[in-house]
Amino acid sequence: MADLTAFSYHPGRSFLHLLDVRFKIIFLILISLTGMQADPPALCLLTFLFLCLIKSSRLSLISILKELRYFLVLLFFVLIARALSTPGTPVFEFKLLSISRQGLYDGILICWRLALVVLLGLIFVSTTRPSEIRTAVAWFLKPFPFIPGKKVATMIGLIMRFVPVILAQAKETSDAQRARGIENRKNPIYRLVKLAVPLIFKTFQNANNLAVAMEARCYSENRTDPDLSSKKNDWIAFFFVICLCILVVEI
Amino acid sequence: MNIIEIRGLSHRFSDGTLGLDAIDIEIKEGEFIVIAGRNGSGKTTLLRHLNGLLRPQTGSVKLAGISVSEDFVRARQMVGMVFQDADSQIIGETVYDDVAFGPENLRLERSEVQQRVSMALEAGGLIDLADHRPHLLSGGEKRRLAIAGILAMKPRVIVFDEPFSNLDYPGVKQVLEQILTLHQAGHTILITTHDLEKVLAHADRLVIMQKGKIVRDGLPNKIVTETEAFGVRQPCTSRLGLEIGSWLI
Amino acid sequence: MNQAEQLRMMVYASLLAALTAAGAYIAIPIGPIPIVLQNLFIFLTGLLLGSKWGVASVAVYLLAGASGLPVFAGGTGGLGRLLGPTGGYLLGYLPAVYLIGFISEKMNHRRFYDALAVVCGTIIIYACGIAWLKTITGMTLTKTLAVGMYPFLPGDVLKIVAAVIIAKSLRPVIGQR
Repeated sequence: MADLTAFSYHPGRSFLHLLDVRFKIIFLILISLTGMQADPPALCLLTFLFLCLIKSSRLSLISILKELRYFLVLLFFVLIARALSTPGTPVFEFKLLSISRQGLYDGILICWRLALVVLLGLIFVSTTRPSEIRTAVAWFLKPFPFIPGKKVATMIGLIMRFVPVILAQAKETSDAQRARGIENRKNPIYRLVKLAVPLIFKTFQNANNLAVAMEARCYSENRTDPDLSSKKNDWIAFFFVICLCILVVEI
Repeated sequence: MNIIEIRGLSHRFSDGTLGLDAIDIEIKEGEFIVIAGRNGSGKTTLLRHLNGLLRPQTGSVKLAGISVSEDFVRARQMVGMVFQDADSQIIGETVYDDVAFGPENLRLERSEVQQRVSMALEAGGLIDLADHRPHLLSGGEKRRLAIAGILAMKPRVIVFDEPFSNLDYPGVKQVLEQILTLHQAGHTILITTHDLEKVLAHADRLVIMQKGKIVRDGLPNKIVTETEAFGVRQPCTSRLGLEIGSWLI
Repeated sequence: MNQAEQLRMMVYASLLAALTAAGAYIAIPIGPIPIVLQNLFIFLTGLLLGSKWGVASVAVYLLAGASGLPVFAGGTGGLGRLLGPTGGYLLGYLPAVYLIGFISEKMNHRRFYDALAVVCGTIIIYACGIAWLKTITGMTLTKTLAVGMYPFLPGDVLKIVAAVIIAKSLRPVIGQR
């Protein structure tokens, strides 16, 4: 269970790995937003581009598809629902079920777009360190007056730190309870409470200790600025992404 | 000059029990002190006053002549604290991030932060693990990471709260070795423990606490025979009338 | 609130966000559908942290997920997950946690009102979730409810009851050093 973040980052020195994280986030947002409006020719173009990126970053397509399996099931469900519920010329009929041409087209279009957006997110995550993402979030929040960007970045860091500890703790708690035969209890509320209370109690104790340890190490919101610098390549990529977005919207 | 000077320090917990009762102690720069006592004798409470995690209710705590309450940041920088539970003091997602946490809080320049982090990682033998996630480290490595995180802040005094709990034999040796290296480099070392066996051979001074009071304070050889009256086990060798041996030999 | 207290609340908020993220992976196998703990922790975020820190916790959780960190159920994905079919439920967490915290605070954490608060929160989560699911799939409202809400209601009732009991038993011990 503790391999929750096993997929996230693949170290490397490819073109994507070396781009400035702030640019990557802007690209991610721009392409995602235009991609949601793209038509089939543009979607073909994007699919081709993404496959090239995956290849050049030396990511494995198979492990990416594995990572996406739950999402693909969801998309398949959306496709079926669309196909069945949109009225139009039927291409297939069986008793009460009828799949319409328009429904099928709509469904494929929506699923294709969503799949591409999620795929792009995956490519981003596997070529960017979590700490870089955190730093970039702080940088983007800087102009907002009421949002303490560095605090948010610290919190994101803490979340990523807590998750594996919680999963290990949950496993320990549930093993300890199984060893004492909790499976014989049929009342689900009893089991929910008996799992959650010790889990939360223990993790809150850890959190208390952590807060004290942070204090002992002079925690302050006013911390050293993150280390970010843009290079020429980032701006060249920026130009191409803008062109790509215009192209995607136009065709 | 004494690096730590505590006068008439008392602390009462919010539930009314007396945690510290009129503590007086002076510590010279470069000393290696072991503070022993059973659980609840006030060791941790005393330590938490040294860097302002707790504030004196009565009495005073001075670091190199300046009161802790006057400048917490100075106190926390000067007195580094390694807590009992290594897991819950790791803040960063990677070993590098964790060590950088302290220097970043001090708003040092980025280049200075990097330099200090590499210095601290080197001292802890953690350079190769810089990109690893801390929760996957071994017990001894986690403890060394906690120490590295403190070292990056360049403290003069390093306080260890039960540094050997939950460690296997190699882990104990690694941590002990590192503590000795730090002492040789001129740091003042304070260690609390209820298990004298592992560390007493290296200490200059032994302090025993009971019910919030300092009940014995002196050379380890002189008072080690009295420890059992205060709920601390006397090391094996000294029970047999021999000199206390080091765990490193 | 002094600085140490602020820091502690910040760590708590991060912890509950982490519990929510981990909750997607912790399941109790009872009956045909295993009970996933994710929205139980959303309820508890509101009940234990109150409206202000609750919203902060969930907002940071969503931001972390949107920027691609693997905190949503089923792994990574970033922005696409918020736009995807189940994105409405995720966004619904935000107003829901505010309302839960708000009602619970105003009513001094009395058990009946805690339960009421969580029920209101659940309604908001479904309102957002169903509305978005309906838009994406193009199904009729009845059908959307049939796939996006009814199957989960029994589990939700259990989680609501559990959340109130858990909050009651943890409140006194949380926040003490």
